[in-house]
Amino acid sequence: MEIVTEKDPKIFRALPKKSLSPWAMARKKFKKNKLAMASLFFLIAVAILSFLAPYITTADVSRINIGEMSLEPSSKHWLGTDRAGRDVFTRLLYGGRISLLVGISCTVFVILLGTLIGSISGYFGGAVDSLLMRFTDFILNFPFLVFVIVLNAILFGKINGLWVLIGTISILSWGGIARIVRSKILAEKENEYITAAISIGCSPAKIIMKHLIPNILSTIIVQATITFATMIVAETGLSFLGFGVPQEIPSWGNMLNSANEPDVLQFKLWIWVPPALIITITILSINFIGEGLKDAFNPKSRR
Amino acid sequence: MLKYAFRRILGMIPMLFLTSIVVFSLAKLMPGDSLSGEIDPRNTDPKYIADMREKLGYNDPLPQQYFHWIGNFVQGDFGKSTRFKIPAAEVIGERIPNTLLLGLSSILITYILAFLMGSYSGRKPYTLGDNIIGGLNYLGLSIPSFVAGVFAIFLFSFTLGWFPSNGSIDIGVTEGTLDYWLSRLHHVFLPAVVLGLLSTASYTQFLRNDIIENSRKDFVRTARAKGTPERKIYNVHILRNSMIPLITFLGFDLVAIISGAIITETIFTYPGLGQLFLDSVGTRDYPVLMTLTMLFSFLTLIGNLVADVFYGIVDPRIRLE
Repeated sequence: MEIVTEKDPKIFRALPKKSLSPWAMARKKFKKNKLAMASLFFLIAVAILSFLAPYITTADVSRINIGEMSLEPSSKHWLGTDRAGRDVFTRLLYGGRISLLVGISCTVFVILLGTLIGSISGYFGGAVDSLLMRFTDFILNFPFLVFVIVLNAILFGKINGLWVLIGTISILSWGGIARIVRSKILAEKENEYITAAISIGCSPAKIIMKHLIPNILSTIIVQATITFATMIVAETGLSFLGFGVPQEIPSWGNMLNSANEPDVLQFKLWIWVPPALIITITILSINFIGEGLKDAFNPKSRR
Repeated sequence: MLKYAFRRILGMIPMLFLTSIVVFSLAKLMPGDSLSGEIDPRNTDPKYIADMREKLGYNDPLPQQYFHWIGNFVQGDFGKSTRFKIPAAEVIGERIPNTLLLGLSSILITYILAFLMGSYSGRKPYTLGDNIIGGLNYLGLSIPSFVAGVFAIFLFSFTLGWFPSNGSIDIGVTEGTLDYWLSRLHHVFLPAVVLGLLSTASYTQFLRNDIIENSRKDFVRTARAKGTPERKIYNVHILRNSMIPLITFLGFDLVAIISGAIITETIFTYPGLGQLFLDSVGTRDYPVLMTLTMLFSFLTLIGNLVADVFYGIVDPRIRLE
């Protein structure tokens, strides 16, 4: 596919130059992907707006204002107010904070746990591998939503609500990552440089951290992106059902929860359409970034 | 092949056992117990309640309680619903047909839509139609089912009035008539489409890519060289090969439907197992909750098993492990 022929003057001229590192190549390819770049900018913008929420809006996010219930969008309330008189725009910003925070924390935990278990399992093999993989199978065989809801119901009120949610989602979601990391490690450890590292007396921890993980990092990054989208869906979905983030904390899912009332759904569009749209567009852009990364890291794709 | 399937089924038993321990422990960790379903609600004498607790075995050591519960469970005695005051099996049995109908129609709609869109896109890749379908797919993969459900109710139920927004049946339709079944299908259509959205998108994508890949293979060139009509090449030669991998997704569908049903049934207030599950969490109806959790776990196990076995049929290399 990538035979350099002398007939192609452009490649021929470029030859004496130092070739790019795989990371630089991926970066270059990613930058050329307009859809992924636009998505990245959108995501960064949403994140900045959400985390700077207290400086952007002055409205009180939690105060219930009976005088201003269900107002339509106006110059004072850009997106109107909800059924408790709270400003929808303000809640959207604060909600983004929570939804993104839960998404990021869950992703970090899931990736750490999945990579840890997957790499140990793949590197050591044998009894360790089969024990850890049976455990992974066991976790994967739980219907995710069912157990998150039950665990949430048990732990609710005992620990701060947000961390219950992050913990339960993370504990039940690392199985897929562990499997993928394991299979990647299994393939990677057959290389000669690993034998060399073992022969000069590197400890297993060092081999995994210094030699194996960096070489499968591109897979982990792509998986992290996909996981991030899944985790946001999980949080918003659970909150929508009323089993996620506690009701008093605004999150995108909690805001969409009001669409369960037929009156709001039918006549008060400004209450539920903004969170619905922002959830969808956020997920869409994360998926585009994920596709872009996958493409960028794939040396075979030439786009 | 049979040996492989048998080995997989045997492997399920310890999993089920472990799952039952987890479910039991979780139920014990939840605040309160399912006492109120078993005793006479009019008699609130503390001594009577204490006696009943003793008699029902709530003071026994936990392992004994577990074996009591699992022993009854495998014999089909799931306990009494604390909310409805009738056996949990009856409460759940009442809802099963609704969820079954929802799941089956969802799978049917998914496969029909994915087949139509995927085979069109695969046949005419990189055309306008393919790009539109590709765009819809991206949306289908990204839009969470509850957002899709909310939009669907707003658009098709409230604005256009084509489909009902809740329930599983019109009031006042006699059971067994044609109207009865039409009404049920009318109610199930929208939730089924929403439930199948994600799989529809991924199946379409899969079928399209598989058809494109197959159409570059040698047997297609041979068929073309023989002068086989283009339509026959696609409908017979390629499609037959591309359909096989799709069948293996059936097991994952089962798993997806369980989680999906909880969300979809809540949005559409469709009286199925998912809604019952959330209700039982809310009202702390432990016997129903535990039975449903076991049922969902069992179905997930079966789903993964079916997926593995189908994979084994399609790709014989997997069988040796």
